[in-house]
Amino acid sequence: MALANLKQTATEARLSELTLPVGGCLAEARRAALSRVQTMGLPGRRDEYWKYTRPDTLTQAIAPTAAVFQHDEAPIFDEFDCLKIVFVDGVFDAEASDDLQLEGVQIDRLSDIESQDIHWSKDLYGVLEARGQDPVPRPLAALNTAFAKDGVVIRVTGKPSKPINLIYNHQSESSDAMLHHVIRIDAGAEVTVLENGPAAARFNKCSEIDIADGGALHMICAQGRDHERRAATHLFARLGEKSVFKCFTLTVNGVLTRNEAVVELLGDDAVVHIAGACVGDGDFHHDDTVFITHVAENCESRQVFKKVLRNGATGVFQGKILVKSTAQKTDGYQISQALMLDDDSQFLAKPELEIYADDVACSHGTTSGAIDEEALFYLQSRGVPRRDATNLLTLAFLAEAVSEIGNQDIVDTIVCRLENWLIRRL
Amino acid sequence: MAALDQTQVKEGIDQETVDAVREVGGAYKHGWATDIEMEYAPKGLTTDIVRLISQKNEEPQWMLDWRLQAYDRWLTKEEPSWAMVDYPEIDFQDQYYYARPKSMEVKPKSLDEVDPKLLETYKKLGIPLKEQMILAGVEGAENAPAEGRKVAVDAVFDSVSLGTTFKAELAEAGVIFCSISEAIREHPELVKKYLGTVVPVSDNFYATLNSAVFSDGSFVYVPPGVRCPMELSTYFRINAENTGQFERTLIIADKGSYVSYLEGCTAPARDIAQLHAAVVEIIIEEDAEVKYSTVQNWYPGDENGKGGIYNFVTKRADCRGDRAKIMWTQVETGSAVTWKYPSCILRGDDSQGEFYSIAITNNYQQADTGTKMVHLGKNTKSRIVSKGISAGHAQNTYRGLVSMHPKAKNARNYTQCDSLLIGNKCGAHTVPYIEVKNNSARVEHEATTSKVDDDQLFYCRSRGMDEEAAVALVVNGFCKDVLQALPMEFAMEAQQLVAISLEGSVG
Amino acid sequence: MLNIKNLHVKLEDEDKQILKGVNLTVEAGKVHAIMGPNGSGKSTLSYVLSGKGGYEVTDGSASLDGQDLLELEAEERATAGLFLAFQYPVEIPGVGNMTFLRTAVNAQRKARGEDPMSAADFLKEVRKTAKSLKIDAEMLKRPVNVGFSGGEKKRNEILQMAMLSPKMCILDETDSGLDVDAMKLVAEGVNALRDGKRGFLVITHYQRLLDHIKPDVVHIMANGRIIKTGGPELALEVENNGYAGILAEVE
Repeated sequence: MALANLKQTATEARLSELTLPVGGCLAEARRAALSRVQTMGLPGRRDEYWKYTRPDTLTQAIAPTAAVFQHDEAPIFDEFDCLKIVFVDGVFDAEASDDLQLEGVQIDRLSDIESQDIHWSKDLYGVLEARGQDPVPRPLAALNTAFAKDGVVIRVTGKPSKPINLIYNHQSESSDAMLHHVIRIDAGAEVTVLENGPAAARFNKCSEIDIADGGALHMICAQGRDHERRAATHLFARLGEKSVFKCFTLTVNGVLTRNEAVVELLGDDAVVHIAGACVGDGDFHHDDTVFITHVAENCESRQVFKKVLRNGATGVFQGKILVKSTAQKTDGYQISQALMLDDDSQFLAKPELEIYADDVACSHGTTSGAIDEEALFYLQSRGVPRRDATNLLTLAFLAEAVSEIGNQDIVDTIVCRLENWLIRRL
Repeated sequence: MAALDQTQVKEGIDQETVDAVREVGGAYKHGWATDIEMEYAPKGLTTDIVRLISQKNEEPQWMLDWRLQAYDRWLTKEEPSWAMVDYPEIDFQDQYYYARPKSMEVKPKSLDEVDPKLLETYKKLGIPLKEQMILAGVEGAENAPAEGRKVAVDAVFDSVSLGTTFKAELAEAGVIFCSISEAIREHPELVKKYLGTVVPVSDNFYATLNSAVFSDGSFVYVPPGVRCPMELSTYFRINAENTGQFERTLIIADKGSYVSYLEGCTAPARDIAQLHAAVVEIIIEEDAEVKYSTVQNWYPGDENGKGGIYNFVTKRADCRGDRAKIMWTQVETGSAVTWKYPSCILRGDDSQGEFYSIAITNNYQQADTGTKMVHLGKNTKSRIVSKGISAGHAQNTYRGLVSMHPKAKNARNYTQCDSLLIGNKCGAHTVPYIEVKNNSARVEHEATTSKVDDDQLFYCRSRGMDEEAAVALVVNGFCKDVLQALPMEFAMEAQQLVAISLEGSVG
Repeated sequence: MLNIKNLHVKLEDEDKQILKGVNLTVEAGKVHAIMGPNGSGKSTLSYVLSGKGGYEVTDGSASLDGQDLLELEAEERATAGLFLAFQYPVEIPGVGNMTFLRTAVNAQRKARGEDPMSAADFLKEVRKTAKSLKIDAEMLKRPVNVGFSGGEKKRNEILQMAMLSPKMCILDETDSGLDVDAMKLVAEGVNALRDGKRGFLVITHYQRLLDHIKPDVVHIMANGRIIKTGGPELALEVENNGYAGILAEVE
């Protein structure tokens, strides 16, 4: 079907500002992705899954500028011993990065493998993204596959001694960055990937993740404190038998964030947990869009999202559990909750279940409301001032999502950042 | 077996249910057709057909103009495609838009003169004799002695309303209950004031179509402070082949009044799909309360998915006044395709909306049903309880919207959607939209999907029930919250329907 | 110590007068009991004193050691030494009992210009107090009141009371929903805090709690007023004859 005129024009305008990298082992994948973008068109306001989030500033040809935000907090994961890989405004910074050598992992820069004819990542690049386009189109991810020039491809073959930390620094107020990562966890291998930083004025990230049987990946991401930045991140994961994928995202500030996660459970007994905590103030708009497909038997999926909103902030949650007829004994759980600290905020949610297998236990819950006055009064009656009591209850509200992170040190770090956010707003 | 005795069958299943389930046998009970000479308008939809329908109903010019305007709007509209239902394209020009039994042209003097086939139809539908007489239009039937419980019935047979029972008694209380065509003639001021104010002409494709071609339906007006002395009931039946039924219901509960309204539907088994596109509008003024209960048992098609009713219905209640109350209860077991979202506009402060639904799909049935709760006023409350049961190759979707507007301070919503799957070739889906725009509003939504509990089934079977009866019993327990919301007479019928609808779903 | 004069209270949202001129003085070291039928305003009195929202004081005053209570925020009243043991303690999922208690203790210390209690000292203190109330360590780790039995909730209230060492304790229907053993345990906890300086106001529907917490003065409340005051024998009279007799006598 031909695209609507408006969509066609917008898509062409965006594409006219970009040049397709040519040659190398990824050329074919890039051409196919470009053709996907042309067929689907970039997101428009009338698209079902863009009902609650305006895509305009994410799709317009030239990115809106965003001031670089200066603050005195140390980068969030600095206290942990990690292998650091630094990008500045979406470009790899070799000097600031560690040597990419670590036992049990093979790390390459995307632009380096581009020139090679054969590379293991060729079989994954653009492949998982393309699989994730059905039934809901994700054109910004296809755009990323076609045009992203930088990123890392990580192959985990063992259990490396420390986490890999991808740091996204933002220095130019007009930067428009695209990064594309491919992560392959071999059978039985395990790694933790930490990501932090606002990345750019406008950031489009696409991560393709393939976890083989018995592999495990833990991802924790903090999207920086810049107020004006915009981000559309995409995560496409495919899980093998008995594999584990746990992902947590912390978002504070940012005028626009759209985090999409598309996960397919292809091997029996696999486990996926996707969680997020976000706190927003003022013109903050935060959107979590999650699509989990159960194909294999006896898998577990959990989605836990908590949003604290104040002063006109908007929180969006669109989450789906799709259980195919082959996925008997599925355990699917989803919870999305908003705490609105004042009257101007909004919470818009579409939590979906689509189930074709009968021997399953799936549930979802969504709640929205103000802080519990009864609990507040109880704390006050014990001498805790109202503001402290509000903060305590707000943190308690966020705790369920944060506790999805297995590592207690990281939990403490995240909680500390959330506390600071609350204190700054007293 | 001592341990077994302690196992609990789902709460709410009593002996009555068990008996009801046992007693009912056979497939679709209302699947016979009545062989009556019909008068048809030509197939297809043109302005001429719209004019003809208006003329047959002896409508005034303003009504015809309203219809023609709707027809023009309809031509510009597209059929919606967002629902999770899949059916062959409908040729709207291959439908009859008007059909009525020929015998209605001259009023019979006594039951002897009534087409016996029509009477047979009523008898099969279980309508009492006196009501049969009135429905058949027998003169003086109103004075005949009544039998059994009092329920005023308005029956719509294909395109026309056949007559309304207990009219005089209702009139005494000031309640107007008649066919909509009669209301247009007799109470134009009320119809003009309210028609199309809850479901506007251009609301959606099917509602617009209905506005152009509705041939009949029911009209209720309950004056201020009146508690309607009996339950009002409409019976819809599609009989003629290739006929679309487009009835229109308008209910007005004036300040401080109360009415309970029951709607039942049946259609004969035919292997060609038939179209049904109804509109129900309810206006509820200050302190008034309306209960609207539906048992929808249109022909669902055969076990291979052939035939059945395509049911595209727009139902909406507008709680205009403060403290107005609406309660929708529906048991949807029929139709090949169901597309239906009885909604509540909670405009008045402290107004309340409730939606209780059971949707059962078996074989190749598809249902996409749910509700909209639009909270506009302060302290408005809504409650949604939806139970979806899917068996065979059926697809069952709950689709709903809860919207809390910025001015709906302290509004509350609680939603519980549960789905049950029987067999692994069917689907159960939940698509809620939740939009909260003020922080004093509290929304809670919960949904679960699971299969029929094996322990419960085993318990029933160990007491001698076969698997089908056991499933029906357990499913009735699963639906208890909704069945309880139905008026007594309907609840029994609904329990039986649950059992019939699931026939052939196990083993 | 606690001085209530001519207190009139109505619901904030509704035109409903609940307290219609309550006069009550609780001296330091004394235990006063308020008894009365349901709906007499007993619980409202405790809520108004502790600063719960939703009520409007239309007349009268309430002070603690000369300090006007009605002027203060709820937490300031707590810091001033007022403690309410709730009839229905709230469950707070996600907040650990220990975190809750420590936050409260240190907030009050801070308000009084004292240094916060060190984690070690606090832990020692809590453990000691908890042990005397037969509260096990597991309960301290769980979220506040979540999944607690009725008895556990009430004991938790008394634990908080002991840790916060208030001047004036109000116990609102502390016996409701407790069996005799659980009630004895709670009463022992309360009696341990009777040190001759602290004031207590015990609100109850039944006399049985007063068998275990012996009052100095008993008040009967009905229809928003204290209609009769007497010694412990008044409670027995209620137990034997019910409220009807006293109500009739007053009218």
